[in-house]
Amino acid sequence: MTEKIIEKLTAKFPAALKDHSEFRGDTTLKIDAEQLRDVASFLESDEDAQYNLLVDIYGTDRLNLGQTPRFAVNYELYSIPKNSFIRLIVDVPDPGRNGGTDGSGRFGEPLPKVASVTDIWPTANWLERETYDLMGIEFENHPWMHRIMMPDNWVGHPLRKDYPLGGEPVYFEKDRNNPRFAHLGKQIMAGPSFETELPEEMDTNGHMVLNLGPHHPATHGVLRLATELDGEKVVRVTPELGYLHSGFEKTGENKRYEKFIPYCDRMDYVSPMNNNLAYVMAVEKLMDVDIPEHVQYVRVILAELQRIASHMIWLGTHAMDVGGTPHAAPLYCFMMRERILDIFEMVCGARMTTSYFSVGGLRWPLPGAFMDAVRAFLKEFAGYYHDYHVMLTKNPLWLSRLKGIGILKAEEAIALGITGPLLRAAGVPLDLRKVRPYCVYDQFDFEVPTSTDADSYARYTVRMEELHQSMRIIEQAIDQIKPGPYRTADRKVALPPRQEISTSMESLIHHFKLVTEGYLPPEGQVYSIGENPKGWLGFGLISDGTAKPYRLRVRGPSFVNLQATNTMARGGFISDLITIIGSIDIVLGEVDR
Amino acid sequence: MDQQLLVDIIVQIIIIGAVASGLMAAFGAMTVVERKVLGRFTMRYGPNRVGKYGTLQILADGLKMFFKEEVIPLHVDRLVYLMAPGIALVPALLAAGVVPIASQPLVLPFEVFGSTITIYPWMANINVGVLYILAVGSLGTYGVILGGWSSNNKYSLLGGLRTSAQMLSYELPMGLALLSVLIIVGSMRLTDIVNFQGSYLGGYLWLIFLQPIAFLIFYICGLAEAGRSPFDLPETENELIAGFATEYGGMKFGLFFAAEYIHMIVLSFITATIFLGGWLGPFSEQIPVLGIVYLLIKVAFVLFTMIWVRVSIPRVRFDKLMKFCWKFLLPLSIANAAITALVLAILFF
Repeated sequence: MTEKIIEKLTAKFPAALKDHSEFRGDTTLKIDAEQLRDVASFLESDEDAQYNLLVDIYGTDRLNLGQTPRFAVNYELYSIPKNSFIRLIVDVPDPGRNGGTDGSGRFGEPLPKVASVTDIWPTANWLERETYDLMGIEFENHPWMHRIMMPDNWVGHPLRKDYPLGGEPVYFEKDRNNPRFAHLGKQIMAGPSFETELPEEMDTNGHMVLNLGPHHPATHGVLRLATELDGEKVVRVTPELGYLHSGFEKTGENKRYEKFIPYCDRMDYVSPMNNNLAYVMAVEKLMDVDIPEHVQYVRVILAELQRIASHMIWLGTHAMDVGGTPHAAPLYCFMMRERILDIFEMVCGARMTTSYFSVGGLRWPLPGAFMDAVRAFLKEFAGYYHDYHVMLTKNPLWLSRLKGIGILKAEEAIALGITGPLLRAAGVPLDLRKVRPYCVYDQFDFEVPTSTDADSYARYTVRMEELHQSMRIIEQAIDQIKPGPYRTADRKVALPPRQEISTSMESLIHHFKLVTEGYLPPEGQVYSIGENPKGWLGFGLISDGTAKPYRLRVRGPSFVNLQATNTMARGGFISDLITIIGSIDIVLGEVDR
Repeated sequence: MDQQLLVDIIVQIIIIGAVASGLMAAFGAMTVVERKVLGRFTMRYGPNRVGKYGTLQILADGLKMFFKEEVIPLHVDRLVYLMAPGIALVPALLAAGVVPIASQPLVLPFEVFGSTITIYPWMANINVGVLYILAVGSLGTYGVILGGWSSNNKYSLLGGLRTSAQMLSYELPMGLALLSVLIIVGSMRLTDIVNFQGSYLGGYLWLIFLQPIAFLIFYICGLAEAGRSPFDLPETENELIAGFATEYGGMKFGLFFAAEYIHMIVLSFITATIFLGGWLGPFSEQIPVLGIVYLLIKVAFVLFTMIWVRVSIPRVRFDKLMKFCWKFLLPLSIANAAITALVLAILFF
């Protein structure tokens, strides 16, 4: 499939395609920066390619790899009609004047520039802003090239390899005598109010700009929505992110592969199992590890349990946003989530930050009572599932709050890079578990629920049906699962069993090497995606052959999905905006990463 | 001045004080009851730490409210900001003035300083009771609007705006619902309304059976007037933080809170009196004290349904409430009143 595209591409743009390679099933095309936009629109529109979903954009700083030019931008594309992935790598020309690898990258120097693809894939808007903010690559003709994660007055680009790691002066210490901060400790209103930058098209004189958040009951965390209001009608919403940015990618690049797993828990902290799964799959793809079947089944069961738990949080908070805090549904949902967390506690001792999956298998074998606990849970959950339907599904007020609210049509959704239940509610049956089954998802009989209404109620019904399908998958998995080893026999990846260490010298050496050094994946670049409850969680890994990833990229589904807020909320009421945020189902830990 | 009159006035003042403080106490109790009931509805325990079964929670909450630091933001309109909670609370208390809790005044069998003491089970049994309730009930809205405006906060402003728009839409159907009751009874005096219900079918021709539609309309509009879920749009903690009360803290917020609950309690009294037969019930003629117990049971039931509604029904959207009131409740209540009048005209003339 990709050979044909490469052929066509070479025929059409002879100079554009500089190189192409294949690694672990990922096709990579090296594209000339000058012709990026031509190639991009060709790939987007050509009938053989139809790469209509831009999954991710991320920059790489190859300072320590010794390659020139120093910066490159990676575009991960997916074609929904053709079910195929492709990666474009664009070498960004050095900006001149000390740019490049000669120990440069000091602050205040011109940034390398590359053309923006925002008009081809609108989802590129935020992804390019993030790349600009963290990697310092400027995108020309971008509608609003502003920092997205870091504060507007931040100096430097943290993901660059020459960015100082720790030891830099703390902001407030430096500014102790700065008159700008003299108001601190006084009553809030006495201090000056800072105007953060808003898009120019916002009419701040004729309309009221209401800052929903960062501290607001319905934003589910520290999200700020600068909402332009005409009366109660929403004219435009500009989400402001980054309040929770904790530099997971940078942290990951300074840790061994295995040690990043606990960090995954803390991104989308309501679905840690799915995050772990997506991450270990990425590393396993990079190292090409064979995973025992038993492990695959356990992963599926736990991931689906986690999906139910995550949807319980969504349903509970959504009902709370729409129905008011004292509504009964939230606690009915949290009750069932508690049951799942109890199972997790039984499995790995932790309830929220599980870190149970490890590269090559599971961290520990399953406890004996696991299957019975899951069976008991499924039985109890079926009753509660019925209750949720009775409470909400046919409730006329619930319908009137959700029906026709926040419409996101399929074309818009794909253009905005939306994945997960939001896209399925728009009528696109894109579920990675179905179209590209990982683990053993191809062994189960389940459906991908879709709806064509594309409104908040469609998203509600799709997620409710997903709960049902998850129950089905778990039931089948429990019936089919067979006992087996809980981690791979590949001694280069997983620790040998304890008893083997005292008898085999080789095992002892493996144990020692793994503990002191970690495993060493081959050089290469992979991108692996897991179907999370909220959408596609993508992990990009670039390995330079050492025990630490050279570049670790996280594509948070909430981050990309949140970009659709404005499209959905425009023209509605404030109440609808709250409904819409609830129906996107965001977790700020993942949005800001 | 006539000594008898003086004693009567003093007794009346004592009654007024007792009712006002009784309502404040009922407000305290109501907050705990509501939290307890909400807790049970949502599979929780509710307050159970202070006192047995959390009964002393009232004291804890009250003390907390009273001893909180009085924070007045610098950007508010001070005078209006400080007056608004009072303006919200007073009409709620005033509405209780015409609610009777028994049919006959109690004359004490002994004399004090040569005067007989008559204890009335009402404060004013005026002949425009229903009209008075409607008039005073809508005054409470001013407190909310002024509070929302004077806070100089965008959320408060939106909350206040919603209240003013909302008030227009529910006041009309509410008045028309009561109109159909008045057509049947022929009097606006609340004791007359109860006595009417007591005089047919052995005291069980309650107006809820005669006028079920008017009852429903009145109940729904009552929820809206008290600012209760699903019509708590001025507050909507999920959208407008706390709506009109965002900038209020301490006892100032407590007064708003009290206004809501007292409104709710008084409305339950009025509902019980007008539609549920007030003090009527088995043997209430013979033992008048039983009547008060019956009334309280009915009031408690109405209050319970208000909490029940809050926990099980999602909130309405602001414009949908208006649409619902203007396009459905108003025509329905007009039709109800017209049909009532027509039926009566056919039957009795």
